[in-house]
Amino acid sequence: MFRRRIFGQIEPGRSKFWRYFRYAFLALALLAASFTLYLDFRVRSEFEGRRFALPARIYARPLELHAGLRIAQGDVIDELRENGYREGIREGDTGWFVRDGSWLEIAVRPFRFWDGAQNALRVRIDFDPIGVQKVQDAQGLDLPLARLEPLPIGGIYPGNNQDRVLVRLSEIPKPLVQALVATEDRAFYTHHGYDLRGIARAAWSFVRGHGLQGGSTLTQQLVKNFFLTPERTLQRKGTEFIMAVLLELHYGKEEILETYLNEIYLGQDRDRAIHGVGLASLYYFGKTVDQLTLTEGALLVALVKGPGVYDPYRHPDRALERRNLVLREMRNTNAITPEAFMLARSTGLGVNDKAAQGTSPHPAFVDLVTRHLRRDYDEADLRSEGLRIFTTLDPRVQGRAERVLERRIAQFDREKRFGEPGLEGAVVVTDSQTGEVEALVGGRDPHYRGFNRALDAARPVGSLLKPAVYLTALADPAHYTLVTPLDDSPFVWKSRGAPDWEPMNYDRQYHGAVPLRVALAQSYNVATARLGTDLGVSRVLGTVQRLGIEREMQPYASTLLGAVDLSPLEVAQMYQTIASGGFRAPLRAIREVTTQDGKPLKRYPLAVEQAFPPEPVYLVTAAMQGVVREGTGQSLKNWLPAETAVAGKTGTTDEQRDAWFAGFTGDKLAIVWIGYDDNRAARLTGAGAALPVWGELMGSLAVEPLVLPKPQGIETVLVDPGSGLRADSGCAGALELPFAKGSAPSAVAPCASSVGIAVEDVKQKAKNWWQRLWGR
Amino acid sequence: MKSRLRIVLAFAVCVSACASQRPEPGLPPPSPLPPSGPAHAESPAIASLMDSARADTAAGKLANAGASLERALRIEPRNPRLWQELSRVRLLQRDYVQAESCAQRSSSWAGSDALLVADNWRLIAQAREARGDADGARAALDAASQQR
Repeated sequence: MFRRRIFGQIEPGRSKFWRYFRYAFLALALLAASFTLYLDFRVRSEFEGRRFALPARIYARPLELHAGLRIAQGDVIDELRENGYREGIREGDTGWFVRDGSWLEIAVRPFRFWDGAQNALRVRIDFDPIGVQKVQDAQGLDLPLARLEPLPIGGIYPGNNQDRVLVRLSEIPKPLVQALVATEDRAFYTHHGYDLRGIARAAWSFVRGHGLQGGSTLTQQLVKNFFLTPERTLQRKGTEFIMAVLLELHYGKEEILETYLNEIYLGQDRDRAIHGVGLASLYYFGKTVDQLTLTEGALLVALVKGPGVYDPYRHPDRALERRNLVLREMRNTNAITPEAFMLARSTGLGVNDKAAQGTSPHPAFVDLVTRHLRRDYDEADLRSEGLRIFTTLDPRVQGRAERVLERRIAQFDREKRFGEPGLEGAVVVTDSQTGEVEALVGGRDPHYRGFNRALDAARPVGSLLKPAVYLTALADPAHYTLVTPLDDSPFVWKSRGAPDWEPMNYDRQYHGAVPLRVALAQSYNVATARLGTDLGVSRVLGTVQRLGIEREMQPYASTLLGAVDLSPLEVAQMYQTIASGGFRAPLRAIREVTTQDGKPLKRYPLAVEQAFPPEPVYLVTAAMQGVVREGTGQSLKNWLPAETAVAGKTGTTDEQRDAWFAGFTGDKLAIVWIGYDDNRAARLTGAGAALPVWGELMGSLAVEPLVLPKPQGIETVLVDPGSGLRADSGCAGALELPFAKGSAPSAVAPCASSVGIAVEDVKQKAKNWWQRLWGR
Repeated sequence: MKSRLRIVLAFAVCVSACASQRPEPGLPPPSPLPPSGPAHAESPAIASLMDSARADTAAGKLANAGASLERALRIEPRNPRLWQELSRVRLLQRDYVQAESCAQRSSSWAGSDALLVADNWRLIAQAREARGDADGARAALDAASQQR
């Protein structure tokens, strides 16, 4: 009856209204249905597909401890601390160390290296004054080698700088999950995505004018973080509600929980956002999530409500209060006993005292790594696929290089007072034998993420190019030896279409005839210019190219004296070839790349190529050792003993705009540049500004002395430095110098008797024979 | 005696050079000579890395073998036996340019160890031969025979 009245006995006008109403209703329903369908599509496709963009993770080189390694106990401890190892307590299976006098016990965490997984490891390291004396396992058996997990040094992050380490629900301790459910959503296991009581509570609070807040289930929170913007409107609440229901329809509780625990925002480390309990455990406690204790898990759950408000570093009191509230909720839901609650409540926060590092503590090095990677990988893959990048960075060398450069530049700035912007600098350190980049500093502020001077500041190199001139000469032993006199008298170079070139010496003097090795040691410009033009500029440039410089250079005579712009990294490549005996090894910053679960993707193997025969490289290296022993690099003795026998070269450009020092020991090569970004005259010399940085850095690194293997085509001969002729023990100040066989002077110096020379010859032969017998 | 050795060597090279004139893609790389000469006392760290490199080589895991040797070279970059082992691995990996370079690097640190240098020349000969450089291979074998 009632129905009939409505649908049957109504006036025409009203029936029209109802028809439109039905259409409108239908349209609305259709709209709602398609909106729901759209949401359903989004929920499924985004949840199903790649759920998280994982940053590429970059690691330093792993520290390999073995008997005989030259490293101080303090340096090992520094690296462990930086890697979040706890000191002094044997708590948990891994991630701690104990020091006692000269030994160190380390519980090394398991780690997946490029060449496979390495299990957790308990080692005891004994130190002596030189370094590691022995390495033993927990049973006291000698270990040949113990590889520590490498230090993470940053990542290549998604646009939003979110960082996370994915973990499985099965790895997450149960108490942590219980704490979450007890605190955030008690009905989680029974509801369908929404919690009516929660909604009622929220509605009541809305009505009372407290705004829209709370009442969200874990599912709704996940939906909100995953799909929606953070604004709080009624419309968004509705969307969130539908999507939560849809999510619950499609996926199980476990799956939702796992995703939630990986998604949740739990902290901020400078510009890096800490997401998920996997990364948060490492960040706050320095341990993997499966190692978390009850109270540590409760703290992470406490942070869910607001990582800024409850930041355990900045607001420890609030954090502790909130954590204890979480523990109380656990007790209230019988997740823990009252006794366990009492015990846990009195436990401290126990967070790491780790310094914040942001996206990377060493942005300049990460910049180099990223540029190398871009040759082989898509930018998008680097930012989302969770690749693991194993690099060559040595944190100890990097840290020292940063500190020394920062301090020295600040000191020069104070002394010179040349105004703002202040001096800048760059440092590159490599393994002199393998070409691995151990440290790279791109400016005085090592944390600055901008202009990377080590790679991008191409500056005139000045005298740093001279070794290439002398190497070219010494490759022609019929004409040039270390004692060949060079002419250091006024010199004008005329070439068609270019103004005359008249190089001057630094001291504005001419030195007449000088032995070749002295001309390099004293960095005489005029003698070098004459030598270089005699050899031919293009021949010298050929040498520079073979040393590893790919940049095109103009074949002007002034290029011989370094009127060519190179970056510190390029200079490092050039000197690398000399340091490794004429074998060019392309500088490398990456060793291996694996997928996020450790599958090897790519190796960047050690590659060497003989670019020069060993003899001339041996000779030019000996001459460069002369630079440090008696030439422009003498002041290095303030930092390194003479036995280190460093081979180096100073460089200073016109009006002292650039100060350089390049040099190498038996195991390390370093390049230092100092100057102004805007090319102002810095009034600093290579020896006065760059060399002290180099010396202080190398002096702090326990470097190995430079002992060159004598090539078969080299003999050493006693020479009278005054005349450049053969000497014997009767000559005061006679020098033992290397020569390509057959190129040593045959004439005898006046100070020597021919008998003495013959004796010297026999002595030398006996020495050679003795060396042959006993090896190097 | 020496000249007879030369003839034998020359013959061997001739045969191998003829064989390598048309390298077939499916052909296995030349198997490098096993290390000869007296055993050297390596440090435990180096010995263990060399052992795992040899085990990996035997198992055909050449990239891993190379990685272990590089680890060892970071510890002792001046150890000529490590460079020589790396040359062997590179040869098996058919990276003949690197095989030759590593053998040369080994010789540069070999000092007066003539046996080691001779082995390096033989590795260089194998690498050159595999690349189809018969003359170069012959020259390398000559150099090997001149080491005493």
